[in-house]
Amino acid sequence: MSDSAVLGTLPNPARQSSTQNVGENELSLTTVLPSNLQPRPLFTGHVSPGSLDDQVLAFPGKKPPRVWYVALAITTAAMLLGFTLFCYTIYMGIGVWGNTSPVFWAFDIINFVFWVGIGHAGTLISAILFIFRMRWRNAIARFAEAMTIFAVMCAAIFPGLHTGRPWLDFFLFPYPNQRGIWPNFRSPLVWDVFAVGTYFSVSLMFWYLGLMPDIASMRDRTDSKVRKVIYTVLAMGWRGAASHWRHFEKAYLLLAGLATGLVLSVHSVVSFDFATSIVPAWHMTIFPPYFVAGAIFAGFAMVVMVLIVVRETMQLKNLITDYHLEVMNKVVLAMSCIMGYSYFMEGATAWYSQNEYLIHAFKNIISGTYGWAGWLTISCNILIPQLFWFKKCRTSYFWMILVSIAVTIGMWFERFVIIVISLHQDYLPSSWRIYRPTLVDLGILLGSFGLFFTLVLLFARVLPVIATSEVKGMLPGSQPKHGRSHG
Amino acid sequence: MAESSTTVIGVYDSPDALIQSIGVLRSKQLGQLEAYSPYPIHGIDEALGHRRSPIGAMVMVMGIVGALTALGAEYWISAIDYPLVTGGKAPTSWEAFVPIMFEVTVLFATFTAGLGMLFLMNRLPFFGHPVLNSKSIAKITRDKYAIAIESAADSKEELDEQVAEAALRDAGATTIEIVREPKPSPFLTSTFVLRALGGIAVSCLVSGVLMYWVIKLFPVLPPMSHMLVQPRVDPQQSSSFFGDGRSMRMPVPGTVARGFMPSFVASQEQAASLVNPLARTREVLEVGKQKFTERCAVCHGALATGIGSLTAAYGGKPANLQAQQFRDYPDGKIYWVIVNGKNAMPSQAADLTVDQRWSIVHYIRALQRAQHAMDRDVQ
Repeated sequence: MSDSAVLGTLPNPARQSSTQNVGENELSLTTVLPSNLQPRPLFTGHVSPGSLDDQVLAFPGKKPPRVWYVALAITTAAMLLGFTLFCYTIYMGIGVWGNTSPVFWAFDIINFVFWVGIGHAGTLISAILFIFRMRWRNAIARFAEAMTIFAVMCAAIFPGLHTGRPWLDFFLFPYPNQRGIWPNFRSPLVWDVFAVGTYFSVSLMFWYLGLMPDIASMRDRTDSKVRKVIYTVLAMGWRGAASHWRHFEKAYLLLAGLATGLVLSVHSVVSFDFATSIVPAWHMTIFPPYFVAGAIFAGFAMVVMVLIVVRETMQLKNLITDYHLEVMNKVVLAMSCIMGYSYFMEGATAWYSQNEYLIHAFKNIISGTYGWAGWLTISCNILIPQLFWFKKCRTSYFWMILVSIAVTIGMWFERFVIIVISLHQDYLPSSWRIYRPTLVDLGILLGSFGLFFTLVLLFARVLPVIATSEVKGMLPGSQPKHGRSHG
Repeated sequence: MAESSTTVIGVYDSPDALIQSIGVLRSKQLGQLEAYSPYPIHGIDEALGHRRSPIGAMVMVMGIVGALTALGAEYWISAIDYPLVTGGKAPTSWEAFVPIMFEVTVLFATFTAGLGMLFLMNRLPFFGHPVLNSKSIAKITRDKYAIAIESAADSKEELDEQVAEAALRDAGATTIEIVREPKPSPFLTSTFVLRALGGIAVSCLVSGVLMYWVIKLFPVLPPMSHMLVQPRVDPQQSSSFFGDGRSMRMPVPGTVARGFMPSFVASQEQAASLVNPLARTREVLEVGKQKFTERCAVCHGALATGIGSLTAAYGGKPANLQAQQFRDYPDGKIYWVIVNGKNAMPSQAADLTVDQRWSIVHYIRALQRAQHAMDRDVQ
């Protein structure tokens, strides 16, 4: 009886309710819910902690398929092209870009906003869905977090280069200096430095800490001596002690909560760059939520696109199921509706304010020189994702990839619309000018995609793409059956 | 815990068996118990009697510290050290500091949560733990659960291996492993890691210094000169462009400065006809007083009596401007002397603008009148 006396300590009821495993859920809900409302399984076939490791953690030890090398060659070529043009820009100056009065912000800022936005999906999945206990996030969280980090790395290139003299970028930071001057803390551009810097470092730490138990698993299963040393150092001696897990879980929960606030703030701050100015169609209060929704929208589309490739080429279909993709597509659809509302609000604000500058700016979006870009944005972001109302489209690769690519293009062009269309006709008609990007602009954009996908490919090769320690904890039978031990 | 302590590890197949064994083993009080699992197991903290993690409180405190740090730094920088008026707002307006305050709060809080968990709470990185160097670790990080019994930290007694092993076996452990002492392999110890990190730091330093000199000396990288090297001539520099080897040119003879119309008077007698263009206002007299004090008073004296602080030292005889001769001078003649100098007095033209000269004339007139005040001046 002494056993039950020790075990008699009641677990926290709130905690217990959130920790019921899949098996229990099915048991308790089958009787209550109709069949179409029952929770869908988060994996197919038989998955045990051991088989999970064999499936997910074995990749780095195996020889990659030929298609991986081909993909890496393509992305590396794109990256090198971008790097060459990056160096060319540094050497020649940013005059090699298409930026010209009055369009002083163009591809550099468009790409920055685009890539920061792509990153937001990862934090949403890893932090916000963690807090909401969305269990489907576990299988895709690690990959999405990695994409966040890579996307923010891509994003950071552009404002750094945009300054014109990237070797003086350290001027951005407030430190006591011989120049005797300080940054202007009332400038949203300085807020950006803090927001993006914090976002990157916090995302990196969040990702790395979550990865640590998985690296420990890899350390203990690898035979290669070199890998063993690398993984040993990276795992920091993680040994899965209960007293460590206790702090780990607490810290992870806190990080998720803080990252939630952070991710909402980052794109809001990015939108302040525009909203605090007086340019017509920038000076709007809807910008912060509109930017955050757009960021999540674009990021989810990118995650869906990459996940399709990952689950097909890495044989992870049993862990990243159709259900995962379908849920992601529902999020894309929801965000698309929010975007539609935001676009409508832009037009409605222009009309309701009866401000001639605002009306002119809005007319430019739908019928100006760049009207095609406006309509491309609207159709890619609002119209095409509506296909996801149909279950057939939500579960078919063809439509998923179509919509994802459309959203990626649409969201890039949305930033083009916001930045270039608003700037190219400002208050002074004598300075109006048509903006044309140069090949250098396009090459650096291509290079940023090359960098992103190169990092994604390398990540998929050397580190676990699925958070095994998180998935293990929600497999059936992985948690003790409280009911029985108390009964 | 001594480095040579003995650890007995029992491996279990299911979390239920693990939790039940913890209860059994805790009641036997064999030594220090620690459970190991590939993922967090719910209810294990209660079974092991762990208290709540203090990380929440640490994060709270450091978050507040972060907010105050950001506010303090921004306020000191933008309002005190380098007051900056932006958009018509006072330097002390703090509202625009809020976004950075938020970001810094999150930065401090998250790093406290992450690094506090790692370094302070879990004491990682640590590569010398017996369990880490056991055979069971491969099972623990994969799909098995384990309990390790070590001699309690506060007891001097060695752990009785047989008793611990029997207890674990009775509690249902499928495999028992006894680790007598940690066997750190040479490249996995914390010393190795520290040395490796130290080596990386030193190599970063060396390569940084090398990089600096390479960039400094390598002529192909003009950007690092920070625009100090420019194809122009600076004042007082030599130049091979002109025959005289100087970069600066003398102005063409007869050049007139902008906004300045010189008076063409050859002699002091001709200057008598010049009229003081300035009105006798308080401002003009203030300027006159200041300039007189700066340039005239050392010789002529503060009261223009011809006895200044330099008079004795040099033995000169500056004019006593209070003398009747000078009181009768027209303004223009005094002005002429200021411009051209007279006797031992050098020209003051290079140091005084036209307006300042006329202001001094006004001031001298005021001094003369003050020293020879009449009854009607008092009325």
